[in-house]
Amino acid sequence: MDRSTVEAFIRGTFARYYHDNPVQPPTSMEKREFGFLLFRERMMVRHKTFRVEEDLRNFIESTTPSDVYYSAAYYERADEEMSRKGWLGADLIFDIDVDHIHTPCRIQHAYWICKKCEEIGRGVPPSKCPKCEGENFREEIWPCETCMEATKMETLKLIDFLTNDFGFSSGEIEVFFSGHRGYHVHVENERISILDQLARKEIVDYILGTGLKAEFHGLSEKGEKMSRMIVGPDLNDEGWRGRIARGVYDFLTSATPESPEKFEGVGRGVLKKFIVNRDALIEAWKRGTPWQAVRGVGIKTWEKILKYALREQGATIDTVVTTDIHRLIRMPTTLHGKTGFNVVEIPVKDLEGFDPFSGAVSFKGDSVTVHVNWADKFRIGDSVYGPYEKERVELPQAAAVFLLCKGVAEPVVQLKEKG
Amino acid sequence: MELSKVDHAKYPFTVEAARYVKKRDLRIEDLASRDYAGIVKRARERIEEAIRYGEVGWDRDKEREYKVEIVSFPISIIMVLSTESNFLGKRYALAESKRAYNLLRVEKEDEKLVEIASSSFNWDVKTASETTRQAYDFALSFIDYLKNAPGFHDYKWKLVNRFMIDRYVFLMKDELARLIAEEARKHIQKRLEEKIKVKLPPTLTQAVNDIRQLLSTHRELIQAEEAPQMVVEEAYPPCIRALNEALLSNRNISHIGRFTMTSFLLNIGLSVEDVVKLFTSATDFDEKLTRYQIEHIAGKRGSGTKYTPPNCETLRTHGLCPGMDDLCKRVKHPLTYYRRRLRQTKAGRVAVKSG
Repeated sequence: MDRSTVEAFIRGTFARYYHDNPVQPPTSMEKREFGFLLFRERMMVRHKTFRVEEDLRNFIESTTPSDVYYSAAYYERADEEMSRKGWLGADLIFDIDVDHIHTPCRIQHAYWICKKCEEIGRGVPPSKCPKCEGENFREEIWPCETCMEATKMETLKLIDFLTNDFGFSSGEIEVFFSGHRGYHVHVENERISILDQLARKEIVDYILGTGLKAEFHGLSEKGEKMSRMIVGPDLNDEGWRGRIARGVYDFLTSATPESPEKFEGVGRGVLKKFIVNRDALIEAWKRGTPWQAVRGVGIKTWEKILKYALREQGATIDTVVTTDIHRLIRMPTTLHGKTGFNVVEIPVKDLEGFDPFSGAVSFKGDSVTVHVNWADKFRIGDSVYGPYEKERVELPQAAAVFLLCKGVAEPVVQLKEKG
Repeated sequence: MELSKVDHAKYPFTVEAARYVKKRDLRIEDLASRDYAGIVKRARERIEEAIRYGEVGWDRDKEREYKVEIVSFPISIIMVLSTESNFLGKRYALAESKRAYNLLRVEKEDEKLVEIASSSFNWDVKTASETTRQAYDFALSFIDYLKNAPGFHDYKWKLVNRFMIDRYVFLMKDELARLIAEEARKHIQKRLEEKIKVKLPPTLTQAVNDIRQLLSTHRELIQAEEAPQMVVEEAYPPCIRALNEALLSNRNISHIGRFTMTSFLLNIGLSVEDVVKLFTSATDFDEKLTRYQIEHIAGKRGSGTKYTPPNCETLRTHGLCPGMDDLCKRVKHPLTYYRRRLRQTKAGRVAVKSG
C-alpha cells in the first residue's frame, strides 16, 4: 500500500476528530500568522490569518492538515510576507524535546525506515537497505517512558526558574504536551513580548547556566596566604546561588568512579579526591563550611565540579526556539501528525503526575485492524502493546492511529474495500 | 520624590526637564534675541565639549545657572541635527550620557535614580531598602535590565551572573547609573535620528558652520587616536578588519567579537593601555570596566591565563568570519594569518629595497 492511502485514512480520522472537537484558537488570533503542514505532498502553507474563530475551525476541518502551527509573534499584517508583516511582539516560548536530553536509554529506541521501500529496522541505519538496496533512510526514535519522564523533569526545572527567579505568576505560564516527545511552555505577558533576540538569549543562558561564573555567585577566596579561606554559596540560598550549592552537593553524594561519562569535564583525579573525602565533605556541608573542608580541594577544583552542577541544575531547553522571535509553534488542542496525540494543556500543579500516554490520547473509537511492519513496545492508557513484526493485529483506535502516524503500519480495512 | 531644578539641569533628558522647557514655550525665532545669547552659547559649548573631550561638562557654577543648562540641551539637539552628521550625533549622545553616568553614580539620594528611571523610562525599579536584600542598592525588573545590559560586554552583566529573585535583578548604584545612562544615550540618539527641517536664525547657522569646521579637524584626530600606530593594519585578517570597522563606526559588537578583537590586539603586541584607548575613545564609555575586561584577557587578572583569539572554525560558528580570502584558506587561526601576512609585506619591502 502506498503512503498516500495510509495518509488518506489518517486524514479521515483527523477530520472526524476536528469535527467533534473544535480547536481552541490562541489569544490575539487576528495578529498571528498560522501555518499548516498538509498531508498531501508534506507541504507547508504559511502566512495564513483568521479574523474569527469559526473561519479557523472551518479551515482546519476542511483541509485537515497533519500539523497546525501559529506564530508566537504578533504582527500588524500577519498575512503579508516576512519583511512586510510589521513585528509587534512575541510570546516567550520554550521547547523541551527529548532530542536535547541525553538519556542513557535513547540509543536503544533508535530505528530507521527506508525511504524507498519502507523497510524498518532497529538501531542505526545500515549503509544499504537489506530489502531494496536503497541508501536513504529516515532515522526515528521510538517514544519511551524514561525519556518522557526526563523531559518532564527538565520542564519542572524550567517552571522553577520561571516562577522563582523570573517572577512570572502561574496565570502567565502555560504548559503543553508537545504531542510527541516533549513539552512546550508559553509565557504571555505584555511587558515581555517586546524583548528582542539579544534579551531572549540572556534568558536562555540564565536557564541553561551558560556563561555562569561562580565568582559572581559568592564563590571566592578571602584573605592572604596562610589565612586564605574559600567561601561559597549555601544550599538554602535563592537563585543560582542555591542551585550551585545543591548541584555541588548532589555531585558529592552521587560521585562514583564507575560512571565517568556522567561527570564529564570533572576529571578522574578530582573525582577520586571527592570519593575519598566524601564523608568529611558531607559533614562539612552540615556545619556550613564545605568549601574549605578538604586540603587540596581549591577553587580551581570547585570550578570543575561546577560544570557538572550547572548541567544538573540548568533546564535543558532548545536555545533556538526561545531566541527566534518569528517562530511558528504547534497550536494547542490540535493533533500531532506523527502520533495522533493531542497538544493538551497541563495545569502547572498537575505536571508532575501527568502521563502523556494517557493524558494526550485523542481517539477513543472502535478497534481498527492494521498490518504492522515493525513496532517496539508502547503503552496507551493502561494497556501495553507490541512488540510487533510483520503481523496483522486488531487494536483500539488510539493505538492503531499511533502506529499509522509513526509510519510503521497500514490499515487493513482500506485494503479490503479496495479489493 | 520630585526632582529639583538643579536635577533638571543635571539630567536634561528626563521628562521633567522636557516639561520645564515646554512650559517656557520657546520659539526658534526667539533664539536670535539677545535674551537667549547665553543659552545659545552654552548649547554650542555642549557640542564643542562632546567633540573635544567626548563628555559634556558639569561644575558647581551650573547649579546656579540651571535655567541655561536645561534650555540649552534641546537647542544643542537642534544644532547637532542641523549639521546632518551621524558621526557627531553618536558622539554627542555618548558625551551627554557619559556626563549623566558620572553624575548619577555619585548621587547621594538613591530615590533620585529610581525617580529618573521610573518616570522617564517607565522602568520597574525600587531601592533595595524596600526589599530584604540590604547588601545591594537597587532592584530592577529583569525586563528593563535586559533593555541595555546585553550590550555591555563584561561577564558581570550577563543575566546568569546576576542575583535575581522574583523578577528583580539586584544592582549597585554604579550599575544602575550605567544602565540609566545607556538608556539616556539611546533616547538622545533617537532624537538625533529624526529628520527635521527647521529654519535657523543666522546666529545659529553661523554656530552650526563653526561646529562643522571643528568636527572636521577633530574627526581625523579622534580616529588617529583610536588607531595605534605600531600595528600593521594591512596585515589584519578579514575578520579582524570587519570588527575594527564595526568598532570605529560605533556599531554594536558581540561579546565574542570584542573578545576576539581584544585578544588579537594584545597578542600582536599592543599594550593594555593601547587597547583601552582604542575601545573607550571610539565607542563604549566606561573606561574602568573596559580596562578590567582587557586586563582579564591579558592575563593580569582572574586566573592569570593570557587568552588568544578563537580559531577560524569557532569564529565561523559565531558568525564572525566575513568570508575567506586566499591566505585564510591556508591558515586556521587569525594570528597565523597576521604573522604570515606581516612576513609577506616585510619580505615585499626588502625585495623592493634590494631591487
